[in-house]
Amino acid sequence: MSDVLFPALSEKQPDSEGVLSAWFVTDGETVREDQLTAEVQVDKVSAEVPAPQAGVITLLVKEDETVVQGTPIARIT
Amino acid sequence: MTTTDAPVAPELRGSHRLTTAKAMVEAIELEMRRDPSVFYIGEDVGAYGGIFSSTTGLLDTFGPQRVIDTPISETAFIGLAIGAAVEGLRPIAELMFADFMGVCLDQIYNHMAKIHFESGGNVKVPMVLTTAVGGGYSDAAQHSQCLWGTFAHLPGMKVVIPSNPYDAKGLMTAAIRDDNPVVYMFHKGVMGLPWMAKNPRTLAEVPEGDYEVPIGKAAVAREGGDVTVVTLSLSVHHALDVAEKLDGSVSVEILDLRSLVPLDREAILASVAKTGRLVVVDEDYQSFGLSGEVAATVTDVDPGLLRAPVVRVANPDTPIPYAHALEYAILPRQDRIETAIHRVTRA
Repeated sequence: MSDVLFPALSEKQPDSEGVLSAWFVTDGETVREDQLTAEVQVDKVSAEVPAPQAGVITLLVKEDETVVQGTPIARIT
Repeated sequence: MTTTDAPVAPELRGSHRLTTAKAMVEAIELEMRRDPSVFYIGEDVGAYGGIFSSTTGLLDTFGPQRVIDTPISETAFIGLAIGAAVEGLRPIAELMFADFMGVCLDQIYNHMAKIHFESGGNVKVPMVLTTAVGGGYSDAAQHSQCLWGTFAHLPGMKVVIPSNPYDAKGLMTAAIRDDNPVVYMFHKGVMGLPWMAKNPRTLAEVPEGDYEVPIGKAAVAREGGDVTVVTLSLSVHHALDVAEKLDGSVSVEILDLRSLVPLDREAILASVAKTGRLVVVDEDYQSFGLSGEVAATVTDVDPGLLRAPVVRVANPDTPIPYAHALEYAILPRQDRIETAIHRVTRA
């Protein structure tokens, strides 16, 4: 099992908040390792979030929700 | 006439959710893997990945020999691409904004578009000119125009304009494989970019692997019987919003042109023959452009198909303002489309 974390886009301010812009997978979907799961954004910088391992993904955050960097946004089992 | 809602056997090929931008990139990546003569050239298309994410990740995959950042000289690098194309390569050249056509138009319409004609058909120019179009995000008069009517007016270029991820991928594949110069115009508002206004239709299932959307074929984005809305690009989404709102009172058919050159006149005529009423929604300038051409497509053949005068919803021939309220007042958005539909159906 591994958590999918909101990536650190701002190194200077580790507690920066960002937005989960889009999910490319649905809750309960089976994903491959490195498969694109989400796109996130801090200010106007966006980043893609690949799956850290293969498995079944459980989404923990909704689209357009604001979270702090490093927060788990999904879990893969 | 074809429909976009039935991708080729997705259950057999597998599919995945992509934004329009990622679908466009996936088509380019697949063609670059398949054909070593394909390369991408333009401003900020390398490390930056395209300012509207048209090339994200391509530099990492293919390196700087095939994903080429250029200085700010559109005449030079579009001219370079034309030269490469006539010598047998398949370049994709990106004009960052269609608004910048003015500084390189000689290369585009006197060279790219005419070499095939002037050589008596002996020299081909198999290139794609990609360019970002459209407004709605306060980028003002020099970065918000559509100008597709101008490209389509000048003979010698095919012009394709996707509105969704499926078409973005399939039209890009078709454009790269076409032996003619193809202008591929992507509206920033359909790309699914996280920093633009959210639009749920810009994220959709796209088949894995390569497929083509035929150039010159429109698609019925929504079937209806009371009125035909002929439109393209971001305006398809606005028209769909209105059609969903009016569902139950007015049955709206929406035709997504997808290509301007060649124009699918048969699809326009078939839909108007069914509904007898026509609204044309075009984010480009109203006069001397697409909306008049679509209306003439009907009246040239049979004005008797129309039970009411054609209503056009377009930019009222004004530069695009920076101020948000002023910009939204001139763009063909949901409020103006709904008013137009009521006008033709009550006529």
